[in-house]
Amino acid sequence: MAKTDIQLKKSAQKKRTAWAVAIILAVLWLLVAFVPFLFMVLTGFKQKLETIMYGAFHLPETLYLQNYIDVITDVNFWIYFRNSVIVLVVSLVILLFISACAAYPLSRFRFRLRGPVYLLIVAAMSVPIHVTMIPIFQMTINMGLYDTIWALVPTSVAFASPISVFILTGFMEGIPRELEEASDVDGCGLYRRFFKIILPLSTPGLSTLAIYNGVNIWNEFIFAFTLTQSNGNRTLPLALWNYQGQYASNTAMIMACLTLSVMPMIILFIIMQDKLVKGMMAGAVKG
Amino acid sequence: MKKKLALLLAAMMLLSLTLAGCGGGKTPNTGNNPGGETSDPGDNNPSDSNPGGSSNGGTITFWNIATDEPDKTVFSYAVDQYNTNDAPNSGFTIEQVSTVNDQYKSKLAVAMGAGECPDVYTHWTGGSLAEYVKSGYAQDLTELVDKYGLRDRYTEASLAQGTVDGKIYALPTKNNSIAAFFYDKAMWAEKGYEIPTTIAELEALCDKMVADGIVPFALANQPQWTGSMYYMYLVTRHGGPDIVTNAYDGSGSLVNDSTIYAGQKIQEWVNKGYFPAGVNSLSPDNGDDRALLYQGAGMMLQGSWQVGSIKSENPEFYENLGCFAFPALEGSSADQTAIVGTLGDVFISFNCTGEKLEEAVKMVSYYSTDEWMKLDIESGNLPPLKAATSEEPAWQDLLVILNDASAVQLWWDQYLPAAVADVHKSASQKCFDASATPEAIAQEQQDAMDEYLAQNG
Amino acid sequence: MNNNVSLAQKRRRSYGICAAVFLFPVLLFLAVYLLYPIIATFFNSLHQWNGISADKKFIGLANWSKLVTDSDFWRAFWNNIKVMVLSLIVQMPIGILLATFLDAVGKKGNAFKALWFLPMLMSSVAVGYLFRYALATNGGIISSISQLFGGGVVDLLGNQATALYAVIGVVCWQFIPFYMVYYIAGYSSISPDIYEASIIDGSTRGQYVRHIALPLLVPTIKSAIILSLIGSLKYFDLVYVMTGGGPGTSTELMATYMYKNSFDTFNMGYGSAIAAGMFILITLFASIVMRLLNGRGND
Repeated sequence: MAKTDIQLKKSAQKKRTAWAVAIILAVLWLLVAFVPFLFMVLTGFKQKLETIMYGAFHLPETLYLQNYIDVITDVNFWIYFRNSVIVLVVSLVILLFISACAAYPLSRFRFRLRGPVYLLIVAAMSVPIHVTMIPIFQMTINMGLYDTIWALVPTSVAFASPISVFILTGFMEGIPRELEEASDVDGCGLYRRFFKIILPLSTPGLSTLAIYNGVNIWNEFIFAFTLTQSNGNRTLPLALWNYQGQYASNTAMIMACLTLSVMPMIILFIIMQDKLVKGMMAGAVKG
Repeated sequence: MKKKLALLLAAMMLLSLTLAGCGGGKTPNTGNNPGGETSDPGDNNPSDSNPGGSSNGGTITFWNIATDEPDKTVFSYAVDQYNTNDAPNSGFTIEQVSTVNDQYKSKLAVAMGAGECPDVYTHWTGGSLAEYVKSGYAQDLTELVDKYGLRDRYTEASLAQGTVDGKIYALPTKNNSIAAFFYDKAMWAEKGYEIPTTIAELEALCDKMVADGIVPFALANQPQWTGSMYYMYLVTRHGGPDIVTNAYDGSGSLVNDSTIYAGQKIQEWVNKGYFPAGVNSLSPDNGDDRALLYQGAGMMLQGSWQVGSIKSENPEFYENLGCFAFPALEGSSADQTAIVGTLGDVFISFNCTGEKLEEAVKMVSYYSTDEWMKLDIESGNLPPLKAATSEEPAWQDLLVILNDASAVQLWWDQYLPAAVADVHKSASQKCFDASATPEAIAQEQQDAMDEYLAQNG
Repeated sequence: MNNNVSLAQKRRRSYGICAAVFLFPVLLFLAVYLLYPIIATFFNSLHQWNGISADKKFIGLANWSKLVTDSDFWRAFWNNIKVMVLSLIVQMPIGILLATFLDAVGKKGNAFKALWFLPMLMSSVAVGYLFRYALATNGGIISSISQLFGGGVVDLLGNQATALYAVIGVVCWQFIPFYMVYYIAGYSSISPDIYEASIIDGSTRGQYVRHIALPLLVPTIKSAIILSLIGSLKYFDLVYVMTGGGPGTSTELMATYMYKNSFDTFNMGYGSAIAAGMFILITLFASIVMRLLNGRGND
């Protein structure tokens, strides 16, 4: 009796130290992850000369608000912003839907071309993006999409879909088959099964992908700069151009601009993070 | 499995080719091509899509890198002038597209590669211009230059830099960019430093600075072209501009006493502590080199565009900004007044013909009017125009250097074919961390040159 | 009997059709935007082409034979291998640790989760800029700390021996949050019942993680490895922003080398050969590793 008591105490103590170590490490990592971000925000509050003289990791001498005000009051910034939102939403919806569609048969069915298709998806992930610039530029012009924001939707979808299908396939493989078989008895067809069972159960995977792809599409730069040209059709990553000269850049303005453009992503993440948890709950209830 | 994969690939290939190919040529002009209506790259004489070509010309697309002020104002000037004064009569309007410097070259290359070169575009002449001409994207302007009387306005040397095989393919604009040493006059006066006229004097001065705890050279060499200025100047002082010209046409080699001297000198200077710590990671894009100068470094070898940057970002320092030419090498038989730089920082070429070309050149000729000149000078530049002179105090020293110059050696990284230029830049950077011997550095550049000459002989 | 076969056949066919319908949209995008360009790349790699001119000169396999013997390319490839190995070693364990922590603390860890995710949200431009300063020799964080303790200036980015590792460190910093979220999703697909059952059986949290959760995470870890591997082999962004391949060629990667040849030095033909070579190498690597990982498993 007494022995187990000591053992319990010991293990409780061990548990406490383990937690203490974990929390110290967690806070340490918090610093590593957060400090650069903090300095990006703070650099936006500096004057141009200050950024040159003292580098980024120096606290601003005074809180200089003008950079942020200039960015916010710039009409172009809001046009770019609107374009970015449209491209993001449209691309993300198409991307997640078609990726989920493709992952369904890859994870669930045994059909003849399954192996080759899967290999093709992996091969598609290996395509270096820069070699596609000239052919895609040409196609975009032929399709009449050049210099419209719609040129950026298919590129975003196409380049994000291999990785999305790959991740979702893995994710759907983890969904227990019994659930499906039960519905099979209920007389659900292959198509209804996807919408009724697989898709809802994939929410955690889909939210992960929404976050990951959302960030990438939001920051997408290569096609935004090759496929658009007029001010009305540019997206946010190009807003920085207005503060970059041939031989000198206004770093403080650039950082202010970057800070403001990352805000929607932070909000998206916080919302999605909640979804991620909910998805987990949904899975738990049904599982 | 293999067979199935092959089958699948074949099917997809067919699908993709039909889809991608659809419209290629069949699609009616969508009106939003970057190249306006022209550009058939296969044709060395691009023709307007309306062969009648007379009335209601259409849009002339003009690509440049003027995204930031003051360039924005300087470049928009001609576009605005043309669109208000001439557009109503000619039927052509100019559409300006500005892309930031870093990505501009790739954007232009992609557009050209897809056969959609813009009508008018800026570039940096030298090796790239040769490629544009060779590929049929630049039109001979010689006649139009005479027609509009532009020879009377542009300096001869600047027009020469836009000339390939005796024909003018590009018009210079913006600035006379030359490399020179910049320094803080007040600090020098206080310490009793004097402007060195020979390399021996320069070294003596640097030794004194090192003893005083000052870093002599404010250099930020991350992008490599900044450190290359030291290399180019030392080669030019030792052997003259012919060294690189002869290597380019195959009559000489880059492995010679001059390039080895340059490599040795830089490595010697590095060892003596003339350059700041971490020189190869400091970046001029962040303004690291100017920061060093502001913080009390001895001098900065940089392009004359720094005048504008310093003026706008540090007016206090600007008041004491002085500059001097790269010192002479005593005992050298080469001409010691040659300078490294480019007359006309930005050059404009044309990818259109006929009436459109004439109108486009007319638009660009606004970059030579007195009013524009004033605007350009105010932004800290010295336009490549005969009438140009500058009241800016910092330009006074530069003007003397410019007027004394017997020859202008275009930056090697622009002058040389791009593939060789790239090797030159990374090789010259190796001088600064002694990761290769001066001989090996010279040899590496010559190897690249040999390969280029073998391919393009 | 006969009836049975035809039913099975019918069933298989309906699965086949359903698969085709579901796969079609993605395959369409891939065909147009990825497959066609990569075919064009293979085609261009057989030509001497400056990338802008309409005239391409067919030179057979000359670019390929140059590629095979090009020491710069293989050095770049070797650098990519270093990026790949170090990314795996650094990103995977830290990603799992962070996710495990968040899984253990549950909702209380939401603030941690949001802040830990920030590096992933920042654009490469900002990351490159900030880390260039963090690593700078004049007033950078590392140099300042070193000087504080009487050491000299530490030049990580300007030194050929260390530049690549400095960049890899930053790449890891940027991508760890992605793997963290990925593993969180993995954890969240493990039913809470399993955890409860194991606790009732008397195991501690640590034992649960080691003996139950981690084995269940294996498929997630496997696909994370594949993703990291492919990502590392075609990496471009931060290297281009932070070092541009320098100093010298010490941080040159396959992708930056390809980009330089294709768009800076008018060697699109050769650049295409590099890209095609990259494509073959990466696909090969990925499929070999996938085979190894799934070794005794399915297929």
